[in-house]
Amino acid sequence: MNVIDDNNLLMRKVNCKLDILSRPDGSVLLSQGDTVVIAGVYGPIEVKTQKMLINKASVETFYRPKSGTPGIGDRLYESIIQNICETSLVSALYPRSSIVVIIQEMQNYGGIISCAVNACCFALLNSGIDMKFLVASASCALDDKGVFHLDPDKLLSDKAKANFVFVFDNIAKRIIASHTSGSFNLAQYEEALELCKKACDAIFDFYKTKMKNEIANKV
Amino acid sequence: MRESVITNCEKKFIIKNLEEHRRLDGRAFDEFRDLSIDFGRDWGCCYVSLGKTRVLAQVSCEIQQPKSSRPSEGILSVNVELNPLGAPHFEPNRQTDLFVILNRILEKCIKDSKAVDLESLCIKVNEKVWAFRVDVNVLNHEGNIIDCASIAALAALAHFRRPDITCDGEDTIIHSYSERDPIHTVIHHYPVCISYAIFNEGDVIVADPTLLEEGVADANLIIGLNGYKEVCGLHLGGKAFLDPDSILRCTTKAAGRANIVIQHIKKVLAEDSEKRNKGIVIGFESALSSSSADINSLEKLSLCLDNWKVQKKDKKESVVVTVESNSETHVDATVESLDESSAVLLPVEENGQQVWNVSSSESDSDVEMIVPQSFKKIKPSSTICID
Repeated sequence: MNVIDDNNLLMRKVNCKLDILSRPDGSVLLSQGDTVVIAGVYGPIEVKTQKMLINKASVETFYRPKSGTPGIGDRLYESIIQNICETSLVSALYPRSSIVVIIQEMQNYGGIISCAVNACCFALLNSGIDMKFLVASASCALDDKGVFHLDPDKLLSDKAKANFVFVFDNIAKRIIASHTSGSFNLAQYEEALELCKKACDAIFDFYKTKMKNEIANKV
Repeated sequence: MRESVITNCEKKFIIKNLEEHRRLDGRAFDEFRDLSIDFGRDWGCCYVSLGKTRVLAQVSCEIQQPKSSRPSEGILSVNVELNPLGAPHFEPNRQTDLFVILNRILEKCIKDSKAVDLESLCIKVNEKVWAFRVDVNVLNHEGNIIDCASIAALAALAHFRRPDITCDGEDTIIHSYSERDPIHTVIHHYPVCISYAIFNEGDVIVADPTLLEEGVADANLIIGLNGYKEVCGLHLGGKAFLDPDSILRCTTKAAGRANIVIQHIKKVLAEDSEKRNKGIVIGFESALSSSSADINSLEKLSLCLDNWKVQKKDKKESVVVTVESNSETHVDATVESLDESSAVLLPVEENGQQVWNVSSSESDSDVEMIVPQSFKKIKPSSTICID
């Protein structure tokens, strides 16, 4: 998946397998380089009375780490994904019900948030629930020399001066979420934004080809 | 979401089928579903599937102070997590009955049977020992979680390598995996759980029950066994009036199965270490790209049922029925309809020529034909139900 023909600005290989679990309504195993996650979606399903909303579906997200109980970092991922799902889903169609999105970490070698968001979108597509638009996420890292690395692995993002994660929609290419850590200036932020936007276009293409193949296989 | 209840209809149907020695997925009573074990790139990470039940296990370690009662032994804890991914009624961090039972049985089977050599995990008596934690995440609940979880936990423990350490007087230095070769864990014996579901007060005992069978069963019998045919744990849950002989018979049968499972675990472990020695990158991403066995090997029945279609037949038209069986034998024949309620099966000869003719001339019937679409791996017997 080449975005620009430059080593720093290459994305790691993205691959996925749909319908890997039988219980959830939609599920996917997505790998981005060495980072692998499983995402599953249940919905719309029965909701607990304390979480019931009368005008729309309540969206619940879970991020499960491989080992141990979820910590603060995992809660952060959960809330990022929850926000993205709430904006992209047409939850008003399913009042008094709930939509549950679960992300299971399988292998974490950097860029887990992007991978989780992309997997989540795939799982939602696979479940056939109504969405306003698709979402795709890309991340990049800024190293000490001021060089950008697209889709960094664990080593690069640990050493980086700043890390950026952006999520875009596929219709107007607007920013759905932006998550940064470290220090940078405005120009660098804008450069990172442009870089991730291009990478997201490639991911949208990947969604399209994958779903086309999937449907062609079923028919 | 509450757990969906099993209807009386389903219960009656399953029990009636079992009385006729038939299981919904076409297995024999003592037949187990397919087992596959994949290892991740990290040490001690494995993904096990038993039929459609999926489990992910990961071992992690840290240095802790030992328990005062056992100052020279390491600590092992097994923790099964009912991930909300597994079934919609699973809630995280909730101690349900199933959660408690699963954890206790696994603890009995692996920890209490002393499968792992805990004394070798001691660094300094009374001060520092390794504490291992096995996290088992249930990803898809299609029955018999315990077998799957016990295999995953054991394979993960056997696969795990802990970092090397050096003791320098008071200080302990932990070397990262890149600095020094990691150390593998000593495992004395390989205990696995084998479960059976009991119906009709012990008349019918089936191995490796599916979700539906588990729900209908009167009781379930879980036997922990190792490769030496030693029982490492026994659990009989539910209300079963089971005579001791049946338990003994089950145990003997389970011992055979345990051996097969343990051989399988050892085989995949050896394959994995061979690949790692050669420096081949392994991980879930490579399992993904290889389009070998479909990860969700859809069970034959649902696939078969999905592919049955009812077609309205308008004119006299011959339908080619191709049956593809496991042993790759092809049976080609044409069905020629004669009447509203009759049809004739014309075999096609080896040279492909049609040598048989229909004697009746009745045609132009409006028979509804049920045509099986292309389905894979269906035993020939299951195609008889064209009606």
